[in-house]
Order: sequence, then C-alpha cells, then structure tokens
Amino acid sequence: MEDYASRIVRKALSLGCEDAVADIYETNNFQIRFSQNQIDITNSWKEQAASLFLVHGKRVVLTDIRDLSKSDEAVEKVVGIAKISQKNLEYGGIAKGPFKYRSLAADKRITSLSEGSDFVYSAVNAALAEGAKETAGTFLRNDQTHYLATSNGVEARDRRANLYLSIRALAGLESSGHGIECATQFAKFKPERAGEKAGHIATMARNPKRGEAGRFDVIFEPLFLGSMADQMAIRDSAYSVMAGLSPFGKKIGKRVAANIVTIYDDATADGRGRKRFDAEGVPARRTAMIQNGVLKTHLHNTSTAKIFKTKTTANAGLVGPEPHQIVLKPGDWKKEELFEECKDGVYVTNTWYTRYQNYTTGDFSTIPRDGIFRVKKGEIVGTWKDVRLTDNLLHLWQNVKALSKETHEVEWWGEVAVPSFMPYALATKIGFTRSAE
Amino acid sequence: MACFRLYIGLMRRMRSQGVKETGLMPGEDLAHFAIEYARSRGASYAEARHEYQIGEQMILKNGVLDALSFSEDSGIGVRVLANGGLAFSSTNRLNKGDVRDAVNSAVKKAKGAARANPIWFVKEETVVTEWSVPEKVRIIDVPTDLKIRDLVELDKAVLDLKIKIPARIFVMSHNRIRKLLVNSEGSEIRSYSPRIRLYYYLTVAGEGDAEQSYRNYGWSGGWEALDELHLTDKVIEEAKSLQQTLEKGKKSPEGKMDLIVGPQVSGIASHESCGHPTEADRILGREASQAGKSFITPGMIGKRIGSEHVNVVDDPTLANAIAYYAYDDEGVKARRRYLYKAGRINEFLQNRETAARLGTRSNGSARATNYDREAIVRMANTFVEPKDWGVEEMLEEVKSGIYMKSFMEWNIDDKRWNGKYVGREAYLIENGEVKHPVRKTVLEVTTPAFWSAVDAVGKDLEFEAGFCGKSDPTQALDAAFGGPTMRLRNIALR
Repeated sequence: MEDYASRIVRKALSLGCEDAVADIYETNNFQIRFSQNQIDITNSWKEQAASLFLVHGKRVVLTDIRDLSKSDEAVEKVVGIAKISQKNLEYGGIAKGPFKYRSLAADKRITSLSEGSDFVYSAVNAALAEGAKETAGTFLRNDQTHYLATSNGVEARDRRANLYLSIRALAGLESSGHGIECATQFAKFKPERAGEKAGHIATMARNPKRGEAGRFDVIFEPLFLGSMADQMAIRDSAYSVMAGLSPFGKKIGKRVAANIVTIYDDATADGRGRKRFDAEGVPARRTAMIQNGVLKTHLHNTSTAKIFKTKTTANAGLVGPEPHQIVLKPGDWKKEELFEECKDGVYVTNTWYTRYQNYTTGDFSTIPRDGIFRVKKGEIVGTWKDVRLTDNLLHLWQNVKALSKETHEVEWWGEVAVPSFMPYALATKIGFTRSAE
Repeated sequence: MACFRLYIGLMRRMRSQGVKETGLMPGEDLAHFAIEYARSRGASYAEARHEYQIGEQMILKNGVLDALSFSEDSGIGVRVLANGGLAFSSTNRLNKGDVRDAVNSAVKKAKGAARANPIWFVKEETVVTEWSVPEKVRIIDVPTDLKIRDLVELDKAVLDLKIKIPARIFVMSHNRIRKLLVNSEGSEIRSYSPRIRLYYYLTVAGEGDAEQSYRNYGWSGGWEALDELHLTDKVIEEAKSLQQTLEKGKKSPEGKMDLIVGPQVSGIASHESCGHPTEADRILGREASQAGKSFITPGMIGKRIGSEHVNVVDDPTLANAIAYYAYDDEGVKARRRYLYKAGRINEFLQNRETAARLGTRSNGSARATNYDREAIVRMANTFVEPKDWGVEEMLEEVKSGIYMKSFMEWNIDDKRWNGKYVGREAYLIENGEVKHPVRKTVLEVTTPAFWSAVDAVGKDLEFEAGFCGKSDPTQALDAAFGGPTMRLRNIALR
C-alpha cells in the first residue's frame, strides 16, 4: 500500500501539482451496540480508500479515492477540477520530510479479535451488580492502518488498534451513570471497570430532586472535564481562531486558565489518540497548548503556522489543524481530598450538548447528565436533576482550584470527541441555571 | 441534536460530479447477491443498500477558498436477522468476495447475539418502484467554477455592506445520492436524491464587542436552490441585523412576560422538544447511551403536552425540503406524521424494529447517512403546522414582551425536558409595537411549559436545515426544521 500512496503522489506531480499528499487507509472494525442489557446489533466495517490532498497553482483540492485500481484516472479528474478552482493565497505548503518515526506495534490480540460479546456482558453484569436495572452502550474493536506519502519525501505507515467500551447504566428513569474503558493493549482492557463505575453512579443518583440555580464549587468527574478540555483544544486550533470560532484570538502569552492548568496535545501518549504522524507526515509530539494557565500556542499545520509566523505543531488536518489526544497534567490531590475541600458545591459526572452564544467570548452552556450530586462540607448530601451549567469557557478553567493525581482515559461520542487523559478537578464559583416550569 | 465540529466536518463527505441520474450503478448485482447469499447462510431476513454518493464542498473562509473537496463514495451495507439477532456489515470493495465476507460476518454476528428477546421486524408491504427528486437546474450541468463564483459573490455582497466583519465562513455543498435498496421480501427500490446546503458563521464586531450568527439552509433539488432560497438576501439581512443588535441592543428584561418567537425558534423547538422525544427507539432505550432516552414512555399517546393550538408534524414528503424522501431506508412508504396534535402526544416515529416491539406499524422513519451505517429511526422535516395568525395581529395583543426572531446558543437535556434558546435577534415589545433590539434574551424552559404557553400560531411557515446527530458512530443526517411565528403567553425570560 505504501507503493500505491507513492504512486498517487507521483501521478499528481507529473500532472503539475506542486504539493500532494495521499493517505491510504484500511479499516477492519467491528462494534457491538447494546441496550436493555442485551445486544441490539453488531456492525462490521471493512474499507479501503485513499484521502488525497492536491495543490495545483495554489488551488487546493481534496478528494477520496474509493477504487484504488482507478487511482490514475481519479487523480487526473481532481487535477482537472483544481485548474478551474480559486487560488488559496493563504496556502503555505506542507512539511518537508523525510522524518524519522518511533516504532509502534499494534497488539496482535486486538487485531486478531473477532468477538466482543463477552466484554459487553462483563460490563453489563458489573453495572447490574452495582444495583443498576438497565444498561446501554457500545463496544468497539478499532483496527486501521494508514499508508502516507507526500510530495515532500514522506513515506510512512501507522497501524492503530485499540478497544473501547462505553456504558450507561440506569437505576431509574432519571438515575444514571456512565463509564468508559479504553485500551491499546488487550491485557489492560477491563470493561467491568466501566460497568462498575456506571452502575455505582446510577445507584447513587436515585431519587434526584430538581437542582438550584446559582454559583457553586464543582467537582468534575474526568468524563465531564474531558468535554471541557475538548472544547479548549478544538477552539485552540488556528483554524477555529481564524474563523472566529474561538475565544483564543490574540491571547497567545495571556492567562486563559488557572496556574495549575497545563493542557497538552499529545499524540505520543499511549491511548486511543496515539499516532505516529499527522496528516502531513510530521512525527507525533507533545505540545503544551496551555502551560501553567498561559496560552502558549495554537494548534497548527504547516499552512496555518506560516500565517501565524510560527512552526507546525504536528496537528495537520489538511484543511485545519486538529487535536489528536488531550492530556491535562495531573495535580497532587487525592480524589477524597477534592471532596473534603468542597464545602458548598456540586459533583458532576458527565455532560452533553455544549453550545455557545458567542465563540469569541466563550460564553456557553452545557447540560450535565447522569449523576449530579449536591456536596456540602465534603459529603454528598443529595442528588440533583434538571440543571444546566451556564458559564464562560475561560472563566471555568481560570477557576480550577485543584486537580487529582489520579487520571483516566476518556472519550465519548460527540462530547469528548478527542481521546483524552483527565484527572478529577475542583473549580470554584461555576454558574448553574435551571428551566422555568 | 444538531452536532458537528466544523473543521473536522469540512474534511468529510466530499462530493463530485460525473454520473447519470438514471440507470444501473456499478455493482448493483452485488446487492441481489448479498440477499440471496445471506438467506442461504441462514438469515431469516436480509436487506442490502447500495449507495453511490457524489458531490462537492466549498469552504470560503474570510474570502479565501480554503479547499474544494470532492468525492465519489460507493459501497454496500447488508443487514440481517438470524436467530433473533441483528447485524450490519458494509464494504466499499465492490466485488463478490468482499460482499460475501460482509454477509458472512453479519450472519455470524447476528447468530451470536444470544438475545433473550428475539428481534423481529413488523411486516410491511413489498415494494418495487423508483423515485427521484427533479432538478430544475441540474447540479451536474453547473460547472464547478460557476458554483465557486456564486459563493464568492455571496461573500462579496456581505462585504459590500461595509460592516465590520472580522470573521466569516461560508460552506456550500451538494450531494447527489443514488440508492438501490433490496430485501429478502422482494422489495427493490431505486432512488435519486440531489441535495444542496449552505451554512455560515458571521462575526460582526463593534466597540470591544461582537455578535455572532450561524444559519443553515438546505434544498432537495437542483442548483435553482440559490434563487429559490434567496440566500444572498438572507445573508445580507442577517449581517445588518447583527450590526443593529450591536449598535442598538439593550439588556433584555427579566421576568414573566409574553414572547413571540420567529420561525427559526419554532423550528428548533419542534425538532428538539417534539421530534426527538417521539423517536420510538429513544423511547425504547436503544439510544440511551448516546443520544439519550425520552421523557415520553410508550403509554403516553394522548397525553397533553401543549395547548390546543399546537400541531407538530414530521413530513418526509415535503417537496424541496432537504430531508425529502418517498420511501425510507427499509422500503416503507413515507408519509406525514402528526407527532403532537392539538397539544397531545399523537404518534411516535417508527421503523420496522420499533414498530414490532410496540405492536404497531412502521411510519417510514428509517434512515441512514450512507451505505456504511444501519438505518435507524430519524426525523426528516419537522415543523409546527401553520395556522392563520399574522405577525402584526400577534404583536397587537402584547402589552409588554419580547419578539425573539432567532437564536444562537441552544441545547436540551437527553430526555428532552429542559430546553434553552438564547436570542440572537430579539426586540422589546411595548403596547403592540416592536421597539429596540435586546441582547441575549434567555428562554430556559421545560418542554410542556413551552408548548402549553402557545396561544397563537402564525401562517408564515419557514424552514432551515440542520445536521441531526444520533447513533454511534454518529450519523449527522440532513434534517429540516421549521414553523411559523408563534406567541407564548406569560413565560419566564431573563
């Protein structure tokens, strides 16, 4: 397949392109979806295609080639379209290779896996054992291989294989909890941990009462914090900044979070977001987006880096830079100590539907789901429902007071879309609102 | 929910031009082979959906064409029932060997599901037909450079307003979907569905302040969409409104008062607090882990949820609406569904699986984004059914209130009970007259409180488009939502 990728690039160059990137990918994935403690459907995907990025006379064109046997024909067609497109005068090229990459091997016990129902029932039974009545979720075996070639000397291969399980447990219609389990190594995949967590939170969350509006100290479960970190990373893409979809414009070097907050994009960390290289073939690295609360850099590809007069952060995305994997530097608190520190607050475990009134200011709201607990003097004294976290993204991160030593790998549906490693966090004076009835 | 991450979404679903609207797709025989082979392997039911999606996407950011994306995407998805289990498998390798592997995988996994309660599909009519959406101006006949020109001219029209717009991004795309659906019951349905979409973000700046807007428009049909939807006029109007809000907007008053909402707000409420909670798969818990459940339970048909003035419908058969279809992805004929009728929960959105579990019939709600996803229960074009009030008539009877024409921030909880809509374009109403703009009016309200407050429904039905997100992997599906202007009485705002 490396040959195919290189052949596509050579063909593009022969037709007058100044830059070309071909990423041939093969996927062999299967997924089990379950609800009501039973398997609903098993999905299997076997795909092979090439993503192609061509630049002809500063005109940028992207396409997918689905039938690799007709790649020459496809490239000719794309170049023909490029010629009648419009120049992108902001285009700044792709990274110059070749590069050296660290070796990574996919776990053969994962790539050879053909069944996952035992994992599902392991998680389901663990949740039920905690007192849950109903569970739903997803198990995924991910196995994809990328073969990358660029006109700047890159020829590289990356096989990414991992396991993922997400489970929501319900102890009642309005009492639920969520658990996540991820692993790149078969031996480390323990889906029952996710089931236990989901079942435990669901059982704790029985008999919720309508919550209150006001400002409270908040203990964030890693899954919830992952969603907030996801927002920080996506808004930190140079593309988001240029499009007016970020509060980080003109804030390099400025304080955007509390002193204890350091957020990395780290495609080298051993998680589901681990990669050997970005979409231009630049070797994966760890980049501090925010260090000790100060915004250090936006995420860049070669082109956006040129616009911002800096260097790529190895986050291409060919149209726009993208985070690969977010790591929030852990603190030195025990989880129990965070609770002890919380005198008048709320413990939130998961959220969804984060939306902005104004991306440039960061004014947003998000809706806590699953267990929401009232905390007084370090103790959980009740369960809430029907509240909304309404605040400002930068205010939230500037008010982080403590982070736990303990971290968890989280990723969930559209909310924690970027794989992340998150501790527990305590933040102060976070806004909550609720609906009029 | 309409969820999408802009610059990731920009990379995907890239379409191109170059095929005839009619006739056989390459590899169609493989769909029939898949069905027959699945049956021979022990499937009690099998269906194959062969799709060929072609299109283009143009991203114009701050006047620069970032990229022109295009692709041809084709493949086959096979879904089978075997031993009471359900499985789906897909491949884009259109040859007999890979399709056979896909079928084998699906049948094996369906048999291995080991369910205590077997899954089955309610019996529906066998259909052999074809349908297509006409294009007055065929997308394929409009050269790419002219499409780019149209987008650039739209951008230029906004710039010519001489308003301070530090960031703007326009995304225009079209997608032509050819589909063959066959199943082991003898159905065979061919279709052709061309769709066009424009969405944009605008940031208008003032003195140390900014207002933002996001709008999204869609069309089933040809390139005539640009004129039919009056896109340039709408974008210009929005930019002017943003500037007016910045220059003249005042703090929105707090307390209980009357509220008039425009079509965009009616539309999002119909989608979020009626369409989603009436999805039968959600009610049955099948989406509990991702999109969530519903405050509605199976026994709530007939329960009052709003005033007698409220009819909310979902209708896939609306001509030119972006989610138009004649038959769903299970081969069931599409029809209008009254979800809330005269203020009562009236009907759920059903596919064949949920209908079997709830002892009813499918109402043609099964859809998938492409060949590589299972078809699940989805909304199509969801809206508040218009009545006979004029906007001026509604205003005349408001002594003190807010006219919220559009929103920016919105969200709703996963049981669809607590919704929030924050005004983008809103005005104070005093003694029946529209006064100055107000900023960030917050309507945070429960679903029954919203619909119960409606006392007048207008005749000015309008639609916008969205990407409705559901399932895992997320299927961001074309959807339209709309409604007329509505008046809500004595509702809490801040």
